[in-house]
Amino acid sequence: MAKESTTIDVGEPSTVTKSSSHVVVDEKKKGFVAAAAGGGYKRGLAIFDFLLRLAAIGITIGASSVMFTAEETLPFFTQFLQFQAGYDDFPTFQFFVISIAIVASYLVLSLPFSIVSIVRPLAVAPRLILLISDTVILTLTSAAAAAAAAIVYLAHNGNANTNWLPICQQFGDFCQATSTAVVAASISVVFFILLIVISAVALKRH
Amino acid sequence: MKNESTFIDVPAESSSAMKGKAPLIGVAKDHTTTGSGGYNRGLSIFDFLLRLAAIVAASVAAGTMFTSDETLPFFTQFLQFEAGYDDLPTFQFFVIAMSMVAGYIVLSLPISVVTIVRPLAAAPRLLLLVLDTAIMGLTMAAASSAAAISYVAHNGNQNTNWLPICQQFGDFCQKTSGAVVSSFVAVVFFMILVVLSGVALKRH
Repeated sequence: MAKESTTIDVGEPSTVTKSSSHVVVDEKKKGFVAAAAGGGYKRGLAIFDFLLRLAAIGITIGASSVMFTAEETLPFFTQFLQFQAGYDDFPTFQFFVISIAIVASYLVLSLPFSIVSIVRPLAVAPRLILLISDTVILTLTSAAAAAAAAIVYLAHNGNANTNWLPICQQFGDFCQATSTAVVAASISVVFFILLIVISAVALKRH
Repeated sequence: MKNESTFIDVPAESSSAMKGKAPLIGVAKDHTTTGSGGYNRGLSIFDFLLRLAAIVAASVAAGTMFTSDETLPFFTQFLQFEAGYDDLPTFQFFVIAMSMVAGYIVLSLPISVVTIVRPLAAAPRLLLLVLDTAIMGLTMAAASSAAAISYVAHNGNQNTNWLPICQQFGDFCQKTSGAVVSSFVAVVFFMILVVLSGVALKRH
């Protein structure tokens, strides 16, 4: 078998050496740009996460305080029903006030983690911590909101089969305040679902 | 600048021994199970098993509440002598919601199988995470509202003159309480599932 040879001219890289360092720097710059581009949308998600947390803090503090101050004293005297109603007459409402207050303070404590994920959009640990703790707190919030909603429904409508009378017909203001608190807590549940989805999307690597 | 030349010998043909043989370039790697793929596959299998357990928990909850009828053998003047889940709207919501949750988990099993077969795919996991979070909220709502009503049925409320009906309807109360506990177990399963999906998404 005849061997064929090929001649390859390798020219001395004279002028190229001076600019080779520029190429390296450019590639480094490109690397930073790529990181910022991937980090760009994650940073946007982190900012949206932070704003959602601020909104959720406002709503949960509002829900807890509205339920806490939901007292009503009737001006007249009736024979069978108590003439005073407050949140502490119902264990479920007590649970509501305490757990929504816990949720509000958790949100305040989670703000630093949110800020860290804005400053370092590609860091995984803060987002994962937020995802896990948000899931637990979502469970607590929806428990409080749903239990209070069940009692509020009962107070509005009563139950003929168990002979539970609807007390809202006497305590109108009390019922209004508790219903408002339940609605606010349900909105915060929706916020928490959004927060969890944002953390999950931002965790996904490319 | 001097141009230096170098001679490189490139054989035009490979040696005759190689003729007709495909040279071994490299072993084809099974990329689905290397490194983090194997770990993710383990997480997916655990996810699938948890879903099977959650189906049991959710359907037990719905079924127990659905069949919790009780008819008292005697007659009282003020209270109804029959109790069932459809006497309380919250319990109706509970039965419907837990049935929907059980149906959802059954429908999510194929997606879970996809994440076992393709452990590095992100889209099915993200879909499962989002859906699981929403369904967990629904499960928790059903569980805790039924728990609140069960609490009132057990203890009553002096301030509103709501009498504890459990003193008459013992079996009914027992079954509804069991259903509520089962649904809380399902909620715990969902929490673990959401966290699993989050951890698996991180490890790509």
